[in-house]
Amino acid sequence: MFNLPARFIGTLTAAAMGASLALPPAKAADDTIKVGILHSLSGTMAISETTLKDTMLFLIDEQNKKGGVLGKKLEAVVVDPASDWPLFAEKARQLIEQDKVAAVFGCWTSSSRKSVLPVFEELNSMLFYPVQYEGEESSRNVFYTGAAPNQQAIPAVDYLAKEEGVERWVLAGTDYVYPQTTNKILKAYLNAKGVKDEDIMINYTPFGQSDWQTIVSDIKKFGSTGKKTAVVSTINGDANVPFYKELANQGIKAEDIPVVAFSVGEEELAGLDTKPLVGHLAAWNYFQSVDADANAEFIKEWHAYTKNDKRVTNDPMEATYIGFNMWVKAVEAAGTTDSNAVIDTIVGTSVPNLSGGYATMMPNHHITKPVLIGEVQDDGQFDIVYQTPGLVVGDEWSDYLPGSKELISDWRKPMSCGNFNIASGKCGGVTN
Amino acid sequence: MITQWFFTHVDRRGGVAIALLVAIAFLVPLSNLLLPESSPLHIPTYLVSLIGKYLTYALLAVALDLVWGFCGILSLGHGAFFALGGYAMGMYLMRQIGPRGVYADPVLPDFMVFLNWKELPWFWYGFDNFWFAALMVVLVPGVLAFGFGWLAFRSRVTGVYLSIITQALTYALLLAFFRNDMGFGGNNGLTDFKDILGFNVQAGSTRSILFAATALFLALAVFVSSFIIRSKLGKVLVGVRDAENRMRFLGYRVDRYKLFVWTISAMMAGIAGALYVPQVGIINPSEFEPANSIEAVIWVAVGGRGTIVGPIIGAVLVNFGKTYFTAAFPEIWLFALGALFIVVTLFLPKGILGLYGSWRTRLADRAAQKRDSTSQSPVANENVQLTEPQAAE
Amino acid sequence: MQLNRSLSVLLLMLGLCFHAAGASAQSSGDEKLRPLIQALAGDNFDDTTKAVSDLVRTGDPRVSMILNALGAGDLYVTKADQTVFLGKREGADYAASDPLTGAKLDPVPRSAAEKIKVNNRLRRDIAAAIGGLTLMSDDIAERRSAAEAILKTRDPGSIPLLDQAIAAEKDAGVKALMQQAKAAAVLNSEATDEVKVAAIAEVSAGNSRDALGLLTPLESVGGPVGEAAKAAIASINSKLALWNGIQNIVYGLSLGSVLLLAAIGLAITFGVMGVINMAHGEMVMIGAYTTFVVQQIIRTSAPGLFDYSLLIALPAAFLVSGAVGVVIERGVIRFLYGRPLETLLATWGISLVLQQAIRSWFGASNVQVGNPSWMAGSFDLGLLTLTWSRLWIIVFSLSVFAILQLVLKKTMLGLRMRAVTQNRRMASSMGIRTPWVDALTFGLGSGIAGIAGVALSQIDNVSPNLGQGYIIDSFMVVVFGGVGNLWGTLVGAMSLGIANKFLEPFAGAVLGKIVVLVLIILFIQKRPRGLFALKGRAIEA
Repeated sequence: MFNLPARFIGTLTAAAMGASLALPPAKAADDTIKVGILHSLSGTMAISETTLKDTMLFLIDEQNKKGGVLGKKLEAVVVDPASDWPLFAEKARQLIEQDKVAAVFGCWTSSSRKSVLPVFEELNSMLFYPVQYEGEESSRNVFYTGAAPNQQAIPAVDYLAKEEGVERWVLAGTDYVYPQTTNKILKAYLNAKGVKDEDIMINYTPFGQSDWQTIVSDIKKFGSTGKKTAVVSTINGDANVPFYKELANQGIKAEDIPVVAFSVGEEELAGLDTKPLVGHLAAWNYFQSVDADANAEFIKEWHAYTKNDKRVTNDPMEATYIGFNMWVKAVEAAGTTDSNAVIDTIVGTSVPNLSGGYATMMPNHHITKPVLIGEVQDDGQFDIVYQTPGLVVGDEWSDYLPGSKELISDWRKPMSCGNFNIASGKCGGVTN
Repeated sequence: MITQWFFTHVDRRGGVAIALLVAIAFLVPLSNLLLPESSPLHIPTYLVSLIGKYLTYALLAVALDLVWGFCGILSLGHGAFFALGGYAMGMYLMRQIGPRGVYADPVLPDFMVFLNWKELPWFWYGFDNFWFAALMVVLVPGVLAFGFGWLAFRSRVTGVYLSIITQALTYALLLAFFRNDMGFGGNNGLTDFKDILGFNVQAGSTRSILFAATALFLALAVFVSSFIIRSKLGKVLVGVRDAENRMRFLGYRVDRYKLFVWTISAMMAGIAGALYVPQVGIINPSEFEPANSIEAVIWVAVGGRGTIVGPIIGAVLVNFGKTYFTAAFPEIWLFALGALFIVVTLFLPKGILGLYGSWRTRLADRAAQKRDSTSQSPVANENVQLTEPQAAE
Repeated sequence: MQLNRSLSVLLLMLGLCFHAAGASAQSSGDEKLRPLIQALAGDNFDDTTKAVSDLVRTGDPRVSMILNALGAGDLYVTKADQTVFLGKREGADYAASDPLTGAKLDPVPRSAAEKIKVNNRLRRDIAAAIGGLTLMSDDIAERRSAAEAILKTRDPGSIPLLDQAIAAEKDAGVKALMQQAKAAAVLNSEATDEVKVAAIAEVSAGNSRDALGLLTPLESVGGPVGEAAKAAIASINSKLALWNGIQNIVYGLSLGSVLLLAAIGLAITFGVMGVINMAHGEMVMIGAYTTFVVQQIIRTSAPGLFDYSLLIALPAAFLVSGAVGVVIERGVIRFLYGRPLETLLATWGISLVLQQAIRSWFGASNVQVGNPSWMAGSFDLGLLTLTWSRLWIIVFSLSVFAILQLVLKKTMLGLRMRAVTQNRRMASSMGIRTPWVDALTFGLGSGIAGIAGVALSQIDNVSPNLGQGYIIDSFMVVVFGGVGNLWGTLVGAMSLGIANKFLEPFAGAVLGKIVVLVLIILFIQKRPRGLFALKGRAIEA
């Protein structure tokens, strides 16, 4: 009997050790450059992230048709971190150490980015992060191609105040760090503009909230004081559909109480009948309805690639597109995929965006973007009603938060610092 | 002498497991640190932390097996104790960052600075001290488990009712930790750790030491579990598992036995969480996710419930499968994982360990069962009525 | 589709106008209108707004059609020579027509024209302008919306128009609305205090929410108007406080009925059969996806039936989910009777497989399930706004519950089910084919989960994760109510729903949910077998 159990325990070690055998180290294919794609394909975030995986495959395919990069073909390495944050870190490490990818495109939630960030810094690789987020971060190894709060929230509030004459504000969000931070920034901004505290209602809901009856009726109540009221929604992904369905059913029209959202795009509206929602707003840096040749071309090729002419495009897709093209351009300029060389080269790189302009990688690793405000149409698209006259530079350290006012980020040499304190003249806490 | 004492408390299977774990604890770090990368026996750092992570899951599985396998308490909320231990360690690691945070605030962690906290909340005090944090790693899950168990076991909440309220417990904690106002970093959790006891958490040597510590703690957990199970207390626990009422009528204070082993198990889960956090580099509320706790139950079932060693195999195997499948078949890996669970339940009712241990007897049993399967009645359903007992009819 | 319809109506009306009015008067009007229409395509919204008010001032009957087209986004302008035209998408072109005469123009390529953009403010202005124009319309619906529009703008300039309209109005409801609108406009005007105080009384007799909005700014005015406003607000507020309680109960019942729907299938598979059915949520999801498929088929082949889509989806979802349930029971669960905890493991695996199957099949994103017209919108009950979808879900969940009780109590199948679950061996001896009864019971539970999916598709996301969102709540409800007792599930669901809604205003949505969970944990300490515990020795087994 003694022998048998010993064999079972052998299984344990074999399984553990087997990891090194079963996961083959990077295939010795020197004629390709590997690119990691780190988006959840299962679990709660699959709903948003799957599209970005497809976008990356599409972009890589297009690039290979053009001859690849540095004369080599690109090879996508797709993994599924399954909406599980620690698994993100594990997969990131696997992509960099095992598959030896040149760069990684991925993540959606801040939690997942926070989880992989130390891995990228430790292994000195590159992550292109394509989603709008709360800011308050700047890493040498991460390139933020989505919007910072000043590229989305503040212009949207300005628009509502000016165009719609809004005086009372409901800041409704999911109880996440992104909505909390954005709302903190907005509240400070509105207060600075002379809006009183009693004219601001802040409301948080749990993730995945599906029963909005009470909150929608509270919003109605808050809006019935005679002053023009608007809702600024930082409600996260899944909870949006039931929220809008309740809004529509309780008959809150955009003409009465407009809702401006920062995380509702074409993809989210695809699950909704938008007829009752016409006129509600969203602030992004790209809409599918943008009238530009680059956009028309992109949509056409995207439809051809996916063999589905109903497939929508959205803002994070454009951010992925920009990030990918910036990486390609920087690699071509540096003549190598080596991280240090590309990180040094990429700052200042300009590539066309999809709204007919250019996006430039700034020294703080955020990019320049136009801010667009769109109104929902009955076909699930947005009509652009406002566009900032120029490009807005992503502000990683908000001027409206107490701790971050004095910080700036500049990854160019000699400063090379993500959190330089202009008051003390020192580079914050980073030791290297 | 010592070996003799050792083997009176641990069976051979446990002994082999402990020996192997101790061996791994030394060999893996040595191979990682000393052998050149070209050597076929070299284990890359990537694998060290990966296996280290598996072993913390294994520790959680052993803790769960102690209550489920030997005492019949199916906890669907053990992830909560794991996460609480992890948060205690995470708080220590956050405090160690000190002025190296992005805002260079000497005391407040970054997320408090930008969310405008003025001072450190009281429950963060003391966590700058490793030993205080280490105490909290066992104390917080322990006290919660004690309080919860004290209520539940005294009121004789059993079976599926208990399972569901443990699920409610972890779900409530999930929601609570999601809240930014709780002061634990909201959904982003605690991250960006710098060092532990003065060593850089990202350094290869620190990873190796953490790995060794995990393997040793796991070995210790196997020993403690075996010790408990082979003591008189353990016999009573098995008695409770198999016939709780009979034990009660025999005069045992069933609730106290349960409470004891429940609390110990929660503390073990807390230690697992504490070892997990520095190795994966983040702790956030998703660890409280009820699905995570269910997955832990599945590791135990896959490995073999009530075997102490089986859960280790189950945890490592399932997680290795997850690592492998998510990279090899990212689009369809859930089919593979789901099928694995179904196959294991249908064909390996005692888990992987049970497959080898009793396959001969099972063959014989199955032949016997087949003959009278029609007369078999499902124990759990018997006499459960659809509505109120209809005495009048 | 709606666009097209409104467009054709518009064209028809334009044509009628054309015939009705004399040709000469028409052409002279045209001269005046043309430049104004051209001005609609201004550089910014302010220009367009001005053009709208200029148009309205002409008093030409055709203005309301043009403004309607503008509001619906049907007016376009060519990029080359800035000609405004009425457009309709047709492939890569716009089918163009003249906005005034309706005469057909050459199609314009889509890239050569731009839509005249409308935003919320403009849409409001248009609604108000049209309101002034259509107050005397023959169509009652138009008059009503005209009155509503004025109620919103409170434009004192429309008071004379309103007086005229009120005098002519026959319908009592619309008349009252017009009077409200007039009162609102009066409050906004320079009228004397006496007139205003009378208007306050008029306003506060109507919809309280709107009244509050009208009166609050007056509170600070002082004088008799301020006093009257204050008093009116106080009385409205006390009325609202009472209705708040009622609202909490009604919303709680509505939430409770959603919970009941989600849980009732589980009350059978888990509560009655003892299978810890982790795949229950996926049965709900399959029901929701069946609704999607049914609507998809209807949309493409019989759009007229759309309002009946849910009625068609109900049996379909029941059959699909039920069939999947029977397959699961026959394929997996029947080997696991007597090992209830292991059913947890296997059904968890099944749930992963089903989620991935749906994801591979339909994609990971939400799919769109529409509301039929009878489920859209809301109605007022006192001071309470109730949405039709919520009301129907309450009715629906209670009917499902009642039907299920009937099936269990009054049919042969129900009798056999009860017999098998109460004493399998005895039932088998009496000649009941227990394996079939097991399969049918599981199929019934799954099928009911499927029809719950039809209802939930109306208020929630339809995505592969749908089921995951309800599974924990469902287990809580069944356990809280008492396993094996359908009445317990009903009472459990309703009390959890109401408790949640009463806590939400005080504690916020997040804390409220936590408190409810803690209360469940504590409640189970008090009653370890749930709300409606089964009594007897057997249940301890």
